[in-house]
Amino acid sequence: MKKISKGIRYLQLLLPLLLFNLLNAQLNYSGSLNPGNMYRLSDQSEISLPFRIAEAEVGYSLGDFEIKTNSAFEYRWSNNENELQLREAYITWYPNWGEVKVGKQIHAWGAVDGNNPTDNLNPYDYYYMFLSGAERKVGTVSGSVKYYWKDLQIEGLFIPEHEGNRVPFGEQAFPLNIPDLRPFLIDKERGREFGFRIQTTLGSSDFSLSYFDGRDRSFTLVGYNELPNLMPSVFYRKTSVLGFDLVSFIGDFTNRFEIGYFLTKNDTEVDSITINDASYIQFAGQVEYSTENDIMLSVQIIGSEISEINGTMTKDEFQTGMGTPFATFTDLGLSFSASTNYYDDALELMGNTFIDLKDSQSMLGASVKYSPINNWKINVSISKFMGEEGTQFYNMEDFSHLKVGLEFHF
Amino acid sequence: MKKLIFTICMGLGYSQTGFEIAKMVDEKPSPNDMSNKTKMVLTNSKGKSRSNAMMSKSMDGNKKQIIWFLEPKDDKGVAFLKIEHDDKDDEMRMWLPAFKKVRRISSKKKGDAFMGSDLSYEDLSSRDLEENEYKRLDDEIVDGRDCYVLEILPKKEAKSSYSKHVSWIEKSTLMGVKEESFDKRGELKKKKKYHFTDLKGYHVMQRVFVEDVQKQHSTEVTFTDIEVDSGIDEKLFQEKNLKRLPRK
Repeated sequence: MKKISKGIRYLQLLLPLLLFNLLNAQLNYSGSLNPGNMYRLSDQSEISLPFRIAEAEVGYSLGDFEIKTNSAFEYRWSNNENELQLREAYITWYPNWGEVKVGKQIHAWGAVDGNNPTDNLNPYDYYYMFLSGAERKVGTVSGSVKYYWKDLQIEGLFIPEHEGNRVPFGEQAFPLNIPDLRPFLIDKERGREFGFRIQTTLGSSDFSLSYFDGRDRSFTLVGYNELPNLMPSVFYRKTSVLGFDLVSFIGDFTNRFEIGYFLTKNDTEVDSITINDASYIQFAGQVEYSTENDIMLSVQIIGSEISEINGTMTKDEFQTGMGTPFATFTDLGLSFSASTNYYDDALELMGNTFIDLKDSQSMLGASVKYSPINNWKINVSISKFMGEEGTQFYNMEDFSHLKVGLEFHF
Repeated sequence: MKKLIFTICMGLGYSQTGFEIAKMVDEKPSPNDMSNKTKMVLTNSKGKSRSNAMMSKSMDGNKKQIIWFLEPKDDKGVAFLKIEHDDKDDEMRMWLPAFKKVRRISSKKKGDAFMGSDLSYEDLSSRDLEENEYKRLDDEIVDGRDCYVLEILPKKEAKSSYSKHVSWIEKSTLMGVKEESFDKRGELKKKKKYHFTDLKGYHVMQRVFVEDVQKQHSTEVTFTDIEVDSGIDEKLFQEKNLKRLPRK
C-alpha cells in the first residue's frame, strides 16, 4: 500500500512535467504509400525486386531539440517477402550557433545533382541505385556538428564504424554483375571515419572545401591468400577524399561543379598483394537553364581519371570504391535532362539521357507523373539501356523496363 | 511631426510627382517583422482549382523571408529562404528533404513562377525605388477609394520581366489596391487586386488576387494567423531553420 501511494506521489510530480512537455512539443508526420511494379521491355515479364511500398517520417520537436525517424516497409510482390526498415532515427539540437545531430542519419555533401564525387558519407543501397537523392542511401550511425557564422558554415562529422554498400548478392533480376554469393571479406576491424566541410559565399557564388577519411563503400580485390588454396581476398580500402564544390550564376545559367581527389590504400595483410595504394580524381559539372516556358534543362558531365596505382594491378583492373556511382560505368559521360510541369503541377514530364563519351553505351529515360486529385499521383516511367558487347549497359539491356506506380501522400 | 508632414503632403496631393508618391509609399511605416499562414488557390481557365498551404516569416519589409510548405502533402517539408541584398545578387535557397540538401537556386530569373502560381519571384520581391521611373497619371476612384495612379517603368538595372506597371494607390493609407503589369511586348499580362486589414497600426495585406490574362489563369493568396512585430530573431533566416517547421 505504501509503495502504491509513493508511486502516485511520483506520478503527481511527473505529471505536470509530462503535461508541460506535451503542450510545448510539436509532432509532425508525413509519408506515402507507393505500390508499383516493373516490367521488362523485351518480353513484358515482371522484374521481381524489392521496393519501398510505404514510407513514414515522424518528427517530435521540443524547444531546440527534435527527434526524427524515417522508416520504410520494403516489399517484394513475387514472394511476399517484406521487411520493416528504420532508415533514419536521430536527434537534432538547434543551438543559436548551428546544429548538432546524433543518430542513424543520411547526409548529403556536394553541389551537383545526384552524381557527387565528394558525397561519400553514406553507403548506397544497390536495390535503389536508380532512384535519386536520399532514396538510394543507407543511414549510418553518426554525429555531426555544423556551425554557422555569417556566410560561413563549418561542419564536422564522425562515424564510429564503417558501413559498406547494401549489395544484392544472388539477385537474378538485378542488372549489374554481382556474384551469387557474398565474397569472403578479410577479417579486419573497419574502424572509424570522419570528415570536415567548410562552405562560404563569395560574391554570388557558394564555395566548399571538404575532407573525408574512411573506407571505401564498395569492397574490391586487394590480393590473394595462398593457403589452403589460392583465394582472392576482398576488403574495403582505406580512402581519403579532398573535395571542392561550387555553385555560381552566369546570366540566366546556374553552374554547379564538384571535384574529388581520392587517395586509397590497402592496409590489409594478404600473401600476395595486388594493390598497395592508388590515387584518382572524379569530377562532375552541371549547367542548368530554365526556358521562358518553364522547361528546366540540365546538362551534366561526369568524369573519372586514375592518376597512379602502386601494385601489380593495372589501370583496367582497378575499381573505384567511393565517389559517384556512375564512375563504375564510365570514365567520361554526359547526361542531359529536361523537365516541366503543366496544369498547375498536376502533370510532370521528364526526359533524360546518359551517353558514355568513351565507350559505346547509352541510357534513355522518360517519366510522366499525373496527379488527378491532391495527394495522389500516377507514375509511368520507361528506361532503356543500350551498349556494345563488353560494356555495362550491354549487360543491362534486358533490364530496360517500364515502371508503373501509384503514390498517395499523407 | 511625421504625421503633420504627411497630412500637408496629402493636402498638396496633386502637386506631387510620381516619384514623390512612390517615395511616400516606400517610406510609410511597415512592420519590422511579420509571420502568417498562407493559402494559395490556383484556378485554371476551366475553373479547376488546386491549393497550396505554407507558413511564412519575414522581416525588413520582406527582404528576408522564409517559407515552409505544408500542402500538397508531397511538398510538405520543402522550404524556401530568400535574402535580398543591396550590393549583390539576392540569395535564394531551397531545402529539399528528399535530397537532404539545401540547394542554392538562381535569383536572376525573376520572371519564373513561384510554386506554379501566377506570382513570379519578382512579384514577391520589394521594388527598388531607384530602379524604376514613376509617372503620375490622373487620380481615380476604385471601389469608393480615392487613389493615386502611377505608371511604373522598370529601368534596365531592375532586370524586370515587365515593361510597365500601372498601380492604384489609396491616398489615405498609401497602400496599393490594384495593379496591372505589362509584358516586354507592352501587352497586359497580370491584373492584381489587394485587400488589407489593420493590425497594430499597420495596414497589412490579407488577400491578393492575381490574374494572368494571357494564360487565363488566376491565383488567390489568403493570409491568416497574421502576426506583426513579434520580435523575430534575424538568425531565423539561416539555412538550418529551413529544415524544421516552426511551432507557429
